[in-house]
Amino acid sequence: MHRIKRFFSALRGDASAVLRDPIQRRKFFKYLLIHLVVVTAALVCIYPLLRIFSVSLRPGDKLFSTDLSLIPDNATFVAYASLLKDTMFLRWLWNSLLITLATSFIGVSLASTAAYAFSRFKFPGKKAGLILLLSSQMIPAGMLILPLFLMIMKLKLMNTYLGMIIAYSVSSLPFSIWILKGYYDTIPRSLEEAALVDGTSQVGAFWRIILPLSTPALSIAFLFNFTTAWNEYLVARVVLFSSKQYTWTLGLFELQGQYITQWGMFAAGSMLVTIPVLAVFLYSSKWLISGLTLGSVKG
Amino acid sequence: MEILRSIYEVAGFIVLIAFGVAALEGYFYYHFKCHDKPWFLPVALAAFPAAAVVAAAAVLGDYQFRLWFYFLAAEALIAAAFRYAIKGRHTVPYLLLAPAFVGLALLLVYPFVFEVYLSFHDLKLTTIMSWKNTGTLPFVGLRQYYDVFTTSPLSEVTFWALLLRTLVWTFTNVFFHVAGGFALALLLNNAIRFKGAYRTLLVVPWAMPQVVAVLAMRGEFHSQNGFVNIVISKLLEVFPFLASLGVAPVQWLSDYPLLTCTIINVWLGIPFMMVVILGGLQSISSSYYDAADIDGASYFQKLRFITMPLIKPVLMPAVTLGTVWTFNNINVIYLVTGQAGGTEQADILVSALYKAAFTYNRYSYSAAFALVVFALLFFISVTYLHGFDAAKEER
Repeated sequence: MHRIKRFFSALRGDASAVLRDPIQRRKFFKYLLIHLVVVTAALVCIYPLLRIFSVSLRPGDKLFSTDLSLIPDNATFVAYASLLKDTMFLRWLWNSLLITLATSFIGVSLASTAAYAFSRFKFPGKKAGLILLLSSQMIPAGMLILPLFLMIMKLKLMNTYLGMIIAYSVSSLPFSIWILKGYYDTIPRSLEEAALVDGTSQVGAFWRIILPLSTPALSIAFLFNFTTAWNEYLVARVVLFSSKQYTWTLGLFELQGQYITQWGMFAAGSMLVTIPVLAVFLYSSKWLISGLTLGSVKG
Repeated sequence: MEILRSIYEVAGFIVLIAFGVAALEGYFYYHFKCHDKPWFLPVALAAFPAAAVVAAAAVLGDYQFRLWFYFLAAEALIAAAFRYAIKGRHTVPYLLLAPAFVGLALLLVYPFVFEVYLSFHDLKLTTIMSWKNTGTLPFVGLRQYYDVFTTSPLSEVTFWALLLRTLVWTFTNVFFHVAGGFALALLLNNAIRFKGAYRTLLVVPWAMPQVVAVLAMRGEFHSQNGFVNIVISKLLEVFPFLASLGVAPVQWLSDYPLLTCTIINVWLGIPFMMVVILGGLQSISSSYYDAADIDGASYFQKLRFITMPLIKPVLMPAVTLGTVWTFNNINVIYLVTGQAGGTEQADILVSALYKAAFTYNRYSYSAAFALVVFALLFFISVTYLHGFDAAKEER
């Protein structure tokens, strides 16, 4: 009790001292203002997420209410239950997971060797190859959907996992090669030279020394491939047409149709998808951003 | 059961790709290692075209005799190149690069070339069946390109209107992204408490899956139970005089779709710019500011003469990327407007392109449209990068 009293008196004393001194006062109001603006911005940023959360907890008869409270009256998990029971949500998640894992695996494997060639060797066409990689980033994403769609149709892979994997597999390849090359460049050559002296081949040195050392960069590349494919919508829209084969993006979009909106289920599904993605992203954002800037600095 | 089957399907495909990569490596290995043997050319010409014809027949499901000619000619060219030009040099890097570049060639370069082919032919809903069966298309020359500039890709909006709208859309979005990102980054660059927490909360729109973020925001603009209109009507209850100023709940999605899309996209795009700019700000040494303080520089002078020039190398690539991304942003516009009954008041070039191809099934037309858009974007990017290089030399 005594302590608390002292704490408050100290606080009061401090505050009045701060407010009496003009320089301190200016500083105080400056920081107060900064905090206010940033808090407002942060609220704007997370409000839609909080709203989805609140809608997902609403009981079925209150879905379209204009209530703005965060935890609604009679909050229930009914929407989650009916999402898992009445729709193919788990199946959609599974489809997405399978497609995404396969594409990321293929993409990272191809990128890891190609980046090694770019990082360690001099050969004719190296510069042209790097320019090709960079300029491929300028091709509008929507532009290649049509020819890919026609190719997949010709190969009779419409509405299959394989069609999706084929369409996705190289889309993040240039970026992955770019990140991995930047990382390999930072690994000293002497490590491989030592291994070569000890009698491994060039490929052996890559496999036994470079790959284990570049686990962080490989994870970034994997993560990047994963999130790109996981969140993709436009290709899936044209390749998949039976709801059994849908990825979760298509499924959610269908739940939020123009006329019959399954608001509660949509919100529940969004929460289930967003939380893990958000967690992984926030956990890894530092590396992801350094990866992004690495590419631009090394260019 | 179905889960097991799907695992088999995908695992089988990955094994198939592994075999493909192995075959590819073997193919190039032979060319690199045996290029000087006397039997190199005959063996190559006998074995590889046959294997390729068999593989093509297996993949496409039908056997075409003319493929022999293509594969023989290609193999003759490749083998000759290896024998007389490459001569087995640089084996390791080329073998390492081969899988990735064959993948890129098949799934990036070939589609691009195929798009050029499509744009000179006529593939639409009425000709697609015969194309599937015979593989041939009527040649129409430049007519598709002529149509791009004279007819609407959708039902009424013209190419020129779309172009203008796209430029306005790109400029507005990038402007607000950079302005908002800059402001927030400047605020966060102070020594304030809870900085990490703020930063985490502020990147949420970028971190959320875009589909969820856009659909959630679209819900907030719903005319009856969206947040925006609820707040407007609550404000009207409290301050009735606002109604006389013209404030009223509106049908955001049907009456102001482009404005809605812009607001959503600004909300989505600020965090990325903020993070990039904050990274740049933190790398500026504080000694510059200390020196300026001694000289008595004001806050805005420091901003103008220290921060701005030093942030430019970080900002320019981010702005270029942001411009390309915004120009190409189908996601936001399609997810907000793109269903049956959706409006075309909000469409920009790329979303019109997507809809022309997949809602109206005008394949060749949209191929020509895509190439025109690509040329435009290429021009814009080159101009940007040129400006960037000039800025680099200035320093």
